[in-house]
Amino acid sequence: MSHHIAPTDRPLGVGILGAGPVTQAIHLPALARLRDVLEVRHIMDVDAAVASSVAARVGATSSSSMDELLGDPAVDIVAICSPHQFHADQVIAACRAGKKAVLCEKPFAMNAEEATRISAVSTETGVPIVVGAMHTFDPGWLAAEQNWGDLPETAHTIRSSIVLPPNARFEDFATEILTRPAAGRPDYSDSEVLKAALHGGIMGLAIHDLPLVRRFTPDFEHVDVLQARHVRPFGYAVSLRTPSRVIELRAVMNGTWKPEWTFEAIADDSALRIDFTPSYVQAGSAVATFTRNDGSETTSFGPFGHNGYEGEWRELAGLANGTRQAPPAQTLIDDLTFALAIAEATVESAALDHAAAADTAGVSA
Amino acid sequence: MSAHFTVHATPAAREAGAVTETVASLPATFGPMPAGHSGQADVRVVAGSSGWAAEAAGAMQAGARGIVVANPVPEDTSELAAAADAAGAVVVLDLRWAANPALVGEGSGADARGAVRSGLGSASLLDSVATAAPGTDPRQLLSDHFAALLAVAGRLDGVAILRLDTSGYTASGRLANGAPFTAQGVLTAARPAGVDIRLYTADGGVAVRVPDPDAAWPAEVRVTGPHGDLLLPTLYESAHRFAWRRLKEHLSAGTRPDDLAGFARLTDLYATLTAT
Repeated sequence: MSHHIAPTDRPLGVGILGAGPVTQAIHLPALARLRDVLEVRHIMDVDAAVASSVAARVGATSSSSMDELLGDPAVDIVAICSPHQFHADQVIAACRAGKKAVLCEKPFAMNAEEATRISAVSTETGVPIVVGAMHTFDPGWLAAEQNWGDLPETAHTIRSSIVLPPNARFEDFATEILTRPAAGRPDYSDSEVLKAALHGGIMGLAIHDLPLVRRFTPDFEHVDVLQARHVRPFGYAVSLRTPSRVIELRAVMNGTWKPEWTFEAIADDSALRIDFTPSYVQAGSAVATFTRNDGSETTSFGPFGHNGYEGEWRELAGLANGTRQAPPAQTLIDDLTFALAIAEATVESAALDHAAAADTAGVSA
Repeated sequence: MSAHFTVHATPAAREAGAVTETVASLPATFGPMPAGHSGQADVRVVAGSSGWAAEAAGAMQAGARGIVVANPVPEDTSELAAAADAAGAVVVLDLRWAANPALVGEGSGADARGAVRSGLGSASLLDSVATAAPGTDPRQLLSDHFAALLAVAGRLDGVAILRLDTSGYTASGRLANGAPFTAQGVLTAARPAGVDIRLYTADGGVAVRVPDPDAAWPAEVRVTGPHGDLLLPTLYESAHRFAWRRLKEHLSAGTRPDDLAGFARLTDLYATLTAT
């Protein structure tokens, strides 16, 4: 299920904007497994000391300026791993700099207008863009895609469930982290804090699997929120409905050691379940399992030898050397607008519930 | 040697409760009415379709000492409970999933109820999915589902149905500590029927998987915590047989089960749900 990538005479050069934990613990270890085809040549971070230290680990140049990285002729592929609000402008700048391909961590834009602007620039410059929805590049998912037949048309129920320990547990299995963002203690009695947490949950966590959900939701433009519940300390229980689908999203990030990340699509007579490996660690691919006949017929695919993050980089290498076709820009826009619609509706629903709860408390007092 | 009790079941009850094979697995205690015997059986099996409570009360008045109700639908059991008290009869409910011995076991043995209740104080989320074949009445599935949830969680607040249709349902509410719970019903022939219950806590949780009672495949209860993952002992006994074995214990010891009191909580909850 992996994309075969032949070593070239000289590896393609990679430049990374943002040197935080995701770069350190996810991308650099993945790239280390592809050193025959990809080589990290430039690391940029607004904190020059972090940029220098992370770059030194891989023998790359460092800077604290995006322009400096984009002007570096040794960089063929740009990965954008900066805070969300910078993504759109940086993607556009990387395209205009004439790079061979761009990887943008999800979300690649914060609204539909930004997404359309990015798409136009990608079309104009011919620079392909890959959004870091890593599960769509996981060989387990790709194997499912080749074998799911008419399930995207017949599934009536879709579930995404994510149970994860704190990120630090797996970051520390993957690398030696330089710096971590300070952990806060949010006041969830404040409705604005609650809304921000739910929005962050959808756009930061659920978004990993929303492109998968959308593949099974032909009427994704008509999504209603049935419930949006915040789960402490971090997570959500969101129930959605379109005219033809039921979509259930669950996430819990607690103190457990046991990760469990599943995607399910269920029809009357067949079902798909994909068990993904946790992020950060190089623990191979997801396992996709189809069941029929009360579970008495089971077909599984995987695990394969690499995860979706490595799959992303294999895809980027293929795009940069012209052996693979860029994904349609409309797919990226549709994925983003689907996620944004869910995030906004979720926040709105939670705000109404919060207000209703406050009213009830006022009456009973 | 224990006493031997004769059993009578209507064809519908026999089918609903897998009575023949279950009674055959307790041959020293239960057996069919002898051929040509015209009296009242010691134990009557009642199918749990609408009106079962009245039928059970009638069987008691006719002299049955024990009643097994196979997969009862929610309905008022207050008169039946009073009749059982007056007659000193034993009423055991053979519930599809809630009667599984892994959920609420015997004595002080580890079970799902104990595992879940010990985690409720630090619960983040209780998420549950019940699966049944297409064509199943989603309201019956909801009843079976909530019977299992109530058996392990004991209390569910603010319960509401968010949707109920031909593909299943979604319901939600709160646990005692205010954490959310969700219950989803999914109708599909792709997977075996059963119920999954997941409780997520501050440092782990409990995962319960209960199969249908048409075979003695065991439920699975796993408790996850800093210690690792603990699989509770597997019990190769169906919900049907465990119900009958409880009946045997109570008849033999002259004690009374609390099945009807527990079922009244389900009936009350179900009434509020179906009214929404």
